[in-house]
Amino acid sequence: MHETKQMTHFTYEDSTVAVRTDIGETYSWFWQRLASPGSWWTGAERIALAAEVRRATDCQFCGQRKNALSPYTLSGAHDAAPASPLNDDAIDAVHRIVTDQSRITQAWVDGLVERGMRIEAYVELVGLVVAVFSIDEFNRALGLAPEALPGPIAGKPTGYCPDHTDSETGFVPMIPRNKAVGAEADLWAGGRGANVLRALSSVPDAVRDWKSISAVQYLSVEGMANMIGDPDRAINRMQMELVAGRVSAINQCFY
Amino acid sequence: MMLRASAHVQNKKIDITAIAGDPVTADSDIEFGEELIAFAEAVLAPSDDASLALARARLGRVAGDAVVVDAAGVIANFQRMVRIADSTGIPVDSLDETIRDSLNLSDFPSAANSGQ
Repeated sequence: MHETKQMTHFTYEDSTVAVRTDIGETYSWFWQRLASPGSWWTGAERIALAAEVRRATDCQFCGQRKNALSPYTLSGAHDAAPASPLNDDAIDAVHRIVTDQSRITQAWVDGLVERGMRIEAYVELVGLVVAVFSIDEFNRALGLAPEALPGPIAGKPTGYCPDHTDSETGFVPMIPRNKAVGAEADLWAGGRGANVLRALSSVPDAVRDWKSISAVQYLSVEGMANMIGDPDRAINRMQMELVAGRVSAINQCFY
Repeated sequence: MMLRASAHVQNKKIDITAIAGDPVTADSDIEFGEELIAFAEAVLAPSDDASLALARARLGRVAGDAVVVDAAGVIANFQRMVRIADSTGIPVDSLDETIRDSLNLSDFPSAANSGQ
């Protein structure tokens, strides 16, 4: 389990249902990472990205765009936080990933890069946005308010890049299946990196975040081979996959 | 595909069309399947807190609070995973054409990322 010196977030003391302690501990661990400088964004910028996640669901422009025949023909302004340190492209990326992700294209991602966003910064943004969104969704599913965002931790982004990436898959560079080696050897084992595991791998910490959160919300990567069910969980694998499939279908996710 | 695999391993009957929104049929071996689907659908209808509260209470009543918590975790997980897949444009690792056709998956916009 992750080290938590003092858990001040996600105690779930006000919850009417008992939330497993590993969930609160892992979310609290991620909150600390959220507040810290990442590979390409500062702590303050990462928290600003998280704040935009929460504004996206009620954003009027996102609502109009979601209903538009094409999401790329409509112009307008998002209901972004005042005095945000983020530029318009970063704000739009957050809102689009939360509210209209199924219509994201290679051309749109390429446009972000042409206008100055480093592709690895986009990857870190994706990983952070989806982690915060999923944790908020967990709380909302249980009828709980979103957890207060942490204060930023000072420092500079590391600018870390893995030694081996290629652009053979999807919209972003990824570590090839057989190149999760050296500092990235923990990302996946034995060349068995499914695309969803490799998707964020140009920012290795983003993969580590999703693996940690996924292990408490769903299954660990190792546990995915167990088709019967984890004895520590209240639902078996069939029940998990029924729910997973319905969520993916409503989100129109082909993957 | 994982649903079919887990049912096969456990020698259980399933109706995969429930994933596409069809009612969970009576001969499905998935315990609390109807209530789990209703809870997932209620979470994904974010403007309707009252329906979510009802679906959550119904699942808790028939299956217990621990099931509600674990189901909320799976829903949250896949709210994340679908966005990772679509935001990075990854294609599927392997395609089961029977499932694709029975669920009309090729109609989804992100099917283009898998050459569909």
